[in-house]
This record gives sequence, structure tokens and C-alpha cells, in this order.
Amino acid sequence: MSRYDRAITVFSPDGHLFQVEYAQEAVKKGSTAVGIRGTNIVVLGVEKKSVAKLQDERTVRKICALDDHVCMAFAGLTADARVVINRARVECQSHKLTVEDPVSVEYITRFIATLKQKYTQSNGRRPFGISALIVGFDDDGIPRLYQTDPSGTYHAWKANAIGRSAKTVREFLEKNYTEDAIANDNEAIKLAIRALLEVVQSGGKNIELAIIRRNQPLKMFSAKEIELQVNEIEKEKEEAERKKSKKTV
Amino acid sequence: MATFFGEVVRAPCRAGTEDEEEDEEGRRETPEDREVRRQLARKREVRLLRRQTKTSLEVSLLEKYPCSKFIIAIGNNAVAFVSSFVMNSGVWEEVGCAKLWNEWCRTTDTIHLSPTEAFCVFYHLKSNPSVLLCQCSCYVAEDQQFQWLEKVFGSCSRKNMQVTVLTCRHVTDYKTAESTSSLHTPFLKALKTQNFREPLCCSLLEQPNIVHDLPAAVLSYCQVWKIPAVLYLCYTDVMKLDLITVEAFKPVLSSRSLRGLVKNIPQSTEILKKLMTTNEIQSNIYT
Repeated sequence: MSRYDRAITVFSPDGHLFQVEYAQEAVKKGSTAVGIRGTNIVVLGVEKKSVAKLQDERTVRKICALDDHVCMAFAGLTADARVVINRARVECQSHKLTVEDPVSVEYITRFIATLKQKYTQSNGRRPFGISALIVGFDDDGIPRLYQTDPSGTYHAWKANAIGRSAKTVREFLEKNYTEDAIANDNEAIKLAIRALLEVVQSGGKNIELAIIRRNQPLKMFSAKEIELQVNEIEKEKEEAERKKSKKTV
Repeated sequence: MATFFGEVVRAPCRAGTEDEEEDEEGRRETPEDREVRRQLARKREVRLLRRQTKTSLEVSLLEKYPCSKFIIAIGNNAVAFVSSFVMNSGVWEEVGCAKLWNEWCRTTDTIHLSPTEAFCVFYHLKSNPSVLLCQCSCYVAEDQQFQWLEKVFGSCSRKNMQVTVLTCRHVTDYKTAESTSSLHTPFLKALKTQNFREPLCCSLLEQPNIVHDLPAAVLSYCQVWKIPAVLYLCYTDVMKLDLITVEAFKPVLSSRSLRGLVKNIPQSTEILKKLMTTNEIQSNIYT
């Protein structure tokens, strides 16, 4: 195996591109990010990385706006993410200037995915070690959630998670993503927070949340707002437990 | 034979060289070589010291402190687990430490220990001195493993002794026919000696996977001397000190050897969290 994993452009005999697969391992080293597509809202929740005492918290961001109506969360190599985000932002504005329309979420996702794929096929370069969750509303008012990975593939999702413990969160979402759960905006936000609480240590203060509502700009939740939501979720949990214990009694 | 540039070079002959005598003289060991070799052996010697002194133990550790239960934690995650869950639930007294040097090891004093420093310390439970614990977070090289075993086990009585070893390994070492994306890391696997009869806390390590380094040496020793021993190996994708990896050892708390020793689990979890935050090396590479 080691003979086929040094160069990016070399296939192994059984068809693997090991460097691309290793890049997917780098993604797992980033903290968890979850994206949910509701009916009238899209939600991005991330596990905040603990910052050093002297570090400015505002410069450690996992959720970034690409344009007024599109934003993304990433997991993986910080520097790679910065490069990809910058390229995407430039492309958003270039598109707006050229065709006088803002990019569609699918367009910018395809752009990012194409960029990532290029780096899996040229020599001397390694793939980008990030996966991204791109959310936003198109002109037609339909909410979108896309996920890209280091190989350059992209798919639309109803809800997805990337980064550390992504599998656990995705299993939670598979069980709990129902039409009821995303019936209104608040429920969708709660679902995102509940999904993150499955894997985030030390609860609500390590969660960052961003939402986009139809025809509204990106809104980042403050720590207080997140705490309110977390408290509501805890209360609901307690209610559910009480009901259960009443039933058994 | 001629090289690319046309010069004629004598090809090495595997049948033996013609001027063997000349070569032999060159190969003969000089006194300097012998001295260097002696110094290197002395440097790589494993010394078992009495607690907080510089005097070596005259006999092996288990001869001096006979034990019925020996728990060995090898690697920083296993050491953190034992520190938070086992050592927290009782008063443990240091009985000795192993000092050794090799290219990977940088042992320091055992007074202010943290899981990020390399050390190898032995403790026994004050309320039950036949329970011994070893926290080893330094790398013991292949040539030193036998010495370590001799200095620790030596010719102790091997009756009524049970050994539990905890260690970690990177999941890329785990060979399986399944796809690696379906593995839920971290996960525990066990390997035991023939004489170990108790139920295991997790599934056995399947072939063709093998165990390496000191845990393998301890287990082999126990198998040879018919000591009941079990190794719990945690395969993880994070080799540095990590909360999720340490918590993956939790099923071991239900094993007979550890059950009686662990009392306050919620408090242990808090201690573990504190240990993590004090030792977290801030890395901004991954977000």
C-alpha cells in the first residue's frame, strides 16, 4: 500500500487514490459541524474549538459567509479552509458582476467541488483537507444544503454532519429528522443543537450556531441565545423523562 | 564491470573476497569499539529505583512487593484513564520508578508528574498492598523490554497473580476485512493468556493483528510463566492525549480486577476533564 500512497496522481491496483482518502482522515480531526435544511430556514451548528487564553476568539471561526445569502461551515485543515473560502468569495462577487445575479448555492458548491477535484489530479499538489457544509437560499426561495469533501464530490442533503464524531451525529439525525422536527424554524434550530449535544463535551457553551431565513441575511447566534435554546432542550428532556416514569408507574 | 562513466570498478563478490585477511583486520573490534559498546549498554540499562531516591532495588519489584493484582497502563491515554478512575479512588503509595534511556525517551523526576511527560512509576494501594499499579508513559525499546521484565517480575512468586495491561494503538495498525469507514473508533480489543479465565469486557483481537512493544513483552512473559493476564488494547485515531480515547477504556471498569478499585465515577470524569484541559496543546492546524 505504501507504494501507492505517496503521489496524489497514482492509482493503487485496486483503484484507490490513497492521498484523497487520507485527506478525508484529516477532515475527521476537525471538530463537528452539522447542517440542517428546514422548510423556511437553514441552520449551521458547529462545535467551537477551545481557544488559547491569549487568542482572539473572533479569529477562530468555523462558520463563514460566502455571500449575503450563502454561508458555509468546514471541518479539517484551517489554512486550506481559508484558501477555499477566499476563492469562493471572490467567485461569488465575480459572478455577480458578470451576470448581475447572485450565485445559486449549487453553483458555488460546484465551484468549490471543482476546485477541490483539480487538486486531486495535478502533480506536486495535495488535496484540500476540508469538507464543507454549504447552506443558503436561492432566488427561487428554496433552502439548500450541500456537502463537499476532499475528493471534489458534492451532494445535496436534508441534514448532514462533518468532522469528528460525524457518524454519531448523522445517526442521530437519521433517527430524528422528521417533517415534524423541521416543522418550524425553532424546531429546526433545536434539532441542530440536540444533534451537537450528542457529541460536544461541556454542553452549550461550546456550540456556535448560524441561521439563514428566507430573504434575510446570515444571523449568528450569541452565546446567550444558544444557552436559552439549550435550557429549553434540557427542560423538554426532563418533561419527556417525567412522562416516561409516570407511564411505567 | 564498467560504470556509466566508463571507469572500471570491481564488482563485490559474494563468494568471499580475495584479500580476506586485510578485511578481517579492519573488522576486528578495537578496544575503543568495545568501550563505546559498553558505555552504550550502560546508558541503555533499565534501573528500578526505590521511591524518590536514587538507590536501585536489590531484588525485582514484585519480589519486594508481592502482588495479587498488577495493573499496567502503557501510553499516555491509558495512564490518564488510570490516573482519573483508579488512582482517584484510594490512597496509592509510590513504591518505585523505572529510569531508562533510549532515543525516544526523556525521563525526568517523578515528583511533578503529568501525562505528557515520559515516566514509568509503580504504586501500591495503601489499604491493600498486594494491589500494584504501573503507569508507564515512556517508550521501552526492544533491547530494554527483557531487562524491564526482569527488574519488575524477576523471580517473584507467580501464584495467585493476575495482570491487566491497558494500552493504545493507532487504528491504522488495525487490519480488518471490513471497510475502515465502518469502524467506530475508538474501540477496545482484548488479548489474554491461556490461564486467564475471567470474562472479557470486549471482543478478542482477531488475526492477523498483533500487539507490539512493552504490552506484547508483558503478555508473552505472562504466557510463558502461566500467569493469568489480559491486555485491553484501544484502537484510536488520535494518538495524543484525548478525552474520547480515554473514555473508551470505561468498559474495563466492570472487569473483576478493576471493579473493586473504582469508586467515584462522576468525580473521576471531572478529574479527567481537568487533566485534559491542563494538558491541551493548542493546535490551530485543524478547526
